[in-house]
Amino acid sequence: MWTQFTRPLLLLEKIYLLKEGIQIINYQQIRTTFILKRRTSPPLHKKGGPIKRLKSKHYVYDLVQDTDIVRQPNIDLILTRYVEGIGNKGEKVSVRPDYAYNQLLLPGLAVYVTPENSEKYKNEKSTSEIQYSSRSAQMIANILSNKTISVVMNKENPWSLKPWHITTSFRKCGYHVPENCITMPAKSIQGPNMDIESKEFFVTVTINNTERVKVRCRIHHWSTSIVDRIPYEYEFWKKPTSPIFSRDENKNM
Amino acid sequence: MSSALKTTAAIKQLFKFEKGFGAYLPEAYKKFYIEWQVKEPVAIHYIPEEGRYKRDEVTGEIIPIQNVPIPLKFPEEHNAHIWGGEGVVQGFKKHDKFIRRVPHFWIPVLRRSVVYSEVLDKHISVVVTNRTINMIHSNYGFDHYLLKTPACDLKSLLALGLKRLVLQEITKGCPVYTNNPIKQMEILNQYKQYLSSYTPEEIEWYGYSFDEACNKMKKILDERDKANKAPLKHLYRTKLVEKLKTAQIEAANQKIESSSSTSWIQNINPFGRKHEA
Repeated sequence: MWTQFTRPLLLLEKIYLLKEGIQIINYQQIRTTFILKRRTSPPLHKKGGPIKRLKSKHYVYDLVQDTDIVRQPNIDLILTRYVEGIGNKGEKVSVRPDYAYNQLLLPGLAVYVTPENSEKYKNEKSTSEIQYSSRSAQMIANILSNKTISVVMNKENPWSLKPWHITTSFRKCGYHVPENCITMPAKSIQGPNMDIESKEFFVTVTINNTERVKVRCRIHHWSTSIVDRIPYEYEFWKKPTSPIFSRDENKNM
Repeated sequence: MSSALKTTAAIKQLFKFEKGFGAYLPEAYKKFYIEWQVKEPVAIHYIPEEGRYKRDEVTGEIIPIQNVPIPLKFPEEHNAHIWGGEGVVQGFKKHDKFIRRVPHFWIPVLRRSVVYSEVLDKHISVVVTNRTINMIHSNYGFDHYLLKTPACDLKSLLALGLKRLVLQEITKGCPVYTNNPIKQMEILNQYKQYLSSYTPEEIEWYGYSFDEACNKMKKILDERDKANKAPLKHLYRTKLVEKLKTAQIEAANQKIESSSSTSWIQNINPFGRKHEA
C-alpha cells in the first residue's frame, strides 16, 4: 500500500527565501501486530484451576485491528546539535517516527524527551556556539551556494547591473530574494559588452541578516531580434567559464 | 490477567528441575526460568476484558470474566531476532457461516534494523518488528527496554543474552567509557537502579536456555571434580612427607630434652670398644 506524505513543512514566515515546491518522500506502510478475537469463547474453568482444553472452534479468530496500518504518531525529541531543516541544538522538535529513529536517534543527533534530558539541554540553546537564524537557513544557504543564476541582460541598450536585475534573475529560478539582501560586486558591471558574455561573477545573499552565502551569476545577452540572438546553450551551468573579475579584484570586495 | 493456572504443559516444565542436570541448577536460574516460561506475558494479540464479572446481553445472566490467552508459536529463528513479544498465531479464518473454516497463520512482519545500546556503546543490526521499535521509543532507549521488560515478554534468547550482557556491564561499572569518566558516571547513575532487583548470581545465570544452563552447570561441576579428583598416591605421598617431618621434629625435641638431663645410662655405648679387663 503506497501512500505519500509530505515532510513537516518548514516554517518560513521569517525567512526571506522560499524554495518552490515541497519535498515529497515515498513512504510504505508496514503491517505487523494483529489484534484477534475468538469467535467462540472457551469454556469457563474453575477459579485458580487449569484452563480447559481448547477445541478447534476456539481457534477460529476474527481480525479486530492491524495496528500497523494505523498511522504512527510523531515523536518528540531534543536535538543534540544543529540539524539542517529540523532545528538548532537543544531545540525540542516533533518528527515522524521512522525519520526520527533512523536519521536522528541512531546517529546521535537527538535524544528522547526524558525529564533528565530536558534538564540537561535546558541551557544548551543559549550556550551552543553557532546560532542559526532559523532551522532552514543553513539548508537554503547550501542550496544557493550550488546554483548558477543566469542574469539575462539587453544586447542593444546600455545598462549597468543593479540589485533588481539579480532579484529578477533569482525570481526566474524560483527564489524570492529582496533587493536589500543582495550585495553586488564592488566594481560595477556595464554593458552590453560581448567580452563578458557567459562569464561569471558572484553576489552575496544575506539570509535573515545573519547567514551570508555567495551565489554564482552568469551574464547572458539577449536581443529582441531573432537574428542577433545568441544561440541557446543546453545546460549552460555545467559548462566551465572564466570569471569577469580576477581573484585580486574579488578579494577587495 | 486470568487467575487460572497456565496450561499444565508450562507447569510440567518445572519438573525438569528435579532430575538430571536440572537438579544441580542453582535457585537463581530457576527464578529466571519461571520469569521466562511460566509467567504470563502481556496481551499483545488480543484485548483482555476488564473486571471480574459481566452480564449476558440477552439473558442478563452473570458470567465471570476469564481471559484465556491466544496460544502463540515461536519458530526456532525467533531466538536470533527481537520480536518485542509478538509471536505466530496459528488458527482458522471463517469467512461465512456456510463456508468451511480455512487454516491461517498470522505472522509478524519482520524487518532488519539497527538498535543502539548505550551501556555497551554499540550499534547492533537485528531483525525486529515495528512493535520492538515502538517499545524502544516508549521506554526511551534500547537498554531501558531490555532492563524494564520481564523475560516472558522479551522471549528470544538474543534479547535475554543482551540483557545479561548489559547487566554485567553495569555491575562492572561500564568499562567502555573509561576514557570519559563524566559520561561513565552519567550512564551509571541512569542504569544502576535496575541492579537492585538482581543478585550477582542471578545476573550470572540470566538469559540462558535450559540446555545452555545445563551445559554451563556441567562445565562448573567438571572443573570442581577435576580439582577434587587428584590421584590418591599424591595425597598419600604428601601425608607421608608431613608425617615424617613431624616425626623428625619430635625426635629433635627428644634429643634436646635428653641432652639436658645427664644420666649415666645414656653415656654407655654398647657398641663401643670393649674395655680390656
